[in-house]
Amino acid sequence: MNCLTKLGLIALLAVVAIGSGCSKKPKNITPIPNGYSGSAAPGSDLSQGGALRGGPGNSGRFTQPTDTAPRELGIDPSKAGGSNELPSGNLRDGKIEDRETFKGNTVYFEYDKSAIKSSELAKIAAVAEHLISRADASLAVEGHCDERGTEEYNRSLSERRALSIRERLVNLGVSADRVTTEAFGEDKPADLGHDDSAWSKNRRGEFILLVPPSLK
Amino acid sequence: MKLPSLLQAMAICAAVLPAFAAGFDAEISGQAVKSIPIAVTGYTGEAAQVLKFDLEVLGFDVVPAAKAQFELKAGAGSEVQGTLIDTGNQHPLFARSYPGGSVRSQAHTLSDDVVKAVTGNAGIARTKIAYKSDLGGAKEVYVSDYDGANAFRATEDRSITASPAWVPGRLALLYTSYKGGKPDVYSHDLTTGARSRVFGFNGLNTSATVSPDGTRIAVILSKAGSPDLWVSKIDGTNLRQLTTTKESESSPCWSPDSKTICFVSNRDGKAALYTISAGGGEMRKLSTGGILNCTEPDWSPDGKWIAFTRAAGEFTLYVVPAGGGDATAITAGEDPSWARNSRTIVFTRGRDRARRLSLLDVPTRRVKDVNRISGSCSQPSWAR
Repeated sequence: MNCLTKLGLIALLAVVAIGSGCSKKPKNITPIPNGYSGSAAPGSDLSQGGALRGGPGNSGRFTQPTDTAPRELGIDPSKAGGSNELPSGNLRDGKIEDRETFKGNTVYFEYDKSAIKSSELAKIAAVAEHLISRADASLAVEGHCDERGTEEYNRSLSERRALSIRERLVNLGVSADRVTTEAFGEDKPADLGHDDSAWSKNRRGEFILLVPPSLK
Repeated sequence: MKLPSLLQAMAICAAVLPAFAAGFDAEISGQAVKSIPIAVTGYTGEAAQVLKFDLEVLGFDVVPAAKAQFELKAGAGSEVQGTLIDTGNQHPLFARSYPGGSVRSQAHTLSDDVVKAVTGNAGIARTKIAYKSDLGGAKEVYVSDYDGANAFRATEDRSITASPAWVPGRLALLYTSYKGGKPDVYSHDLTTGARSRVFGFNGLNTSATVSPDGTRIAVILSKAGSPDLWVSKIDGTNLRQLTTTKESESSPCWSPDSKTICFVSNRDGKAALYTISAGGGEMRKLSTGGILNCTEPDWSPDGKWIAFTRAAGEFTLYVVPAGGGDATAITAGEDPSWARNSRTIVFTRGRDRARRLSLLDVPTRRVKDVNRISGSCSQPSWAR
């Protein structure tokens, strides 16, 4: 399955989830905030020109897969599109770290920037898809910087990077309760060099899958 | 650092020196910006070393007696003794003996007395600094005398410990430790060794600093979804979010009256300094005369100046009036922390994970490395 198809599927599944999630709510509840309705479906901002949108017709006809319950898609209508607040519990409790699964998905950033480059979107989408299919797992996103900023500035910037990735995951339908962030600033470089090549490898966000011990 | 940028930094300093020096001098110390020639005669070994280091850090030049404006003469006792003479009229300013303690502490006490007698200002030779070092592999917080002597490792978390900040008037620190796998803020009483986690929310908890009146903490937390500035009571309770930008905030410091916080924000793209009332309100950009990429502010204890780091490829220390205005380049380096005399700054020099701590005398621009510390050191905080 190519990447665009994956994105489209995520978007479609998310639309279905929203539909069924809303139908359970009392009528006087505020509609899901902007970003999760109509053409601004999750993932739709990733499409270049609207081809991937779960638009009219599609969303009407699409039937819910029997093996995917709406709750497992992880969209909590009370949080979607609104606050980016981090979860309150410790997502690492009772979980084991898996640094291998998403080793190839490390997201790289421009110097002094926390915006996600378009070249990195597919990596995040693949992580989102994996998480959506795996309800027992949580995720830690580690943010990192190169050494050219000052230390505490970098610690905040690396957190901002991890949060940008997290927001993208949530927009793709991953429950905000399942993703936490860990900022390392310039303290854990991937490459110990002091040149452009090393710096470009150090400005990154890494994904650590947190899984129950029995499933490791 | 690379040579061209060093020359560049020196050129910047030379260009701005005269105007700034006059202003700084008149408002801050009342002393000549030229260093004060002093002869230190009759001392040997550790006492001689300590006196020379202390006096040079505080703007003196140690010279032969014939060229000196003041002369400090040793005595015959087993403990450190000193007679300070004004060579112009040969009048003694004081003659004292310093029994008790180590030779180091005797000599430090004497040099503080010299500084007091000549400049009228309290010395800093018996103050302490805290900093981060990777000596031994893990990044731990160390505490030492201001000159690097008597260093001891305050933490043994074997992970990353960073951003130490003194609790004013106490032998206690706040710092960030990754002991729990992510950055959390701890409070550490150095007299008892007791410590506790003050902020351990999901996401970022870092850059905690205590207000000069000791009642509150300013800290960077991301629990609301972005690295924002928060303020709490000293025990971490009564948390209040002061900024709500989408971009990141960092490095808060306090005004001496504990009413205002200066910090860094990327709100407008590039890092800039802002101030905000500690009780909440609008964040206001602090003018730095067009200097961009400003980080790591530290407010001088007399309230007049804010020192900061310009991070633009290389790091340069600047000083700007606390109300904003033209910022003045001082020297190459990063992360300034003022001593309580509002004159001396401890900061970090060097790159490539071989960084060292240095002491800067702002009026004379003299820089001296803190020599006794090994490992790559950074993030110094001066106890005050």
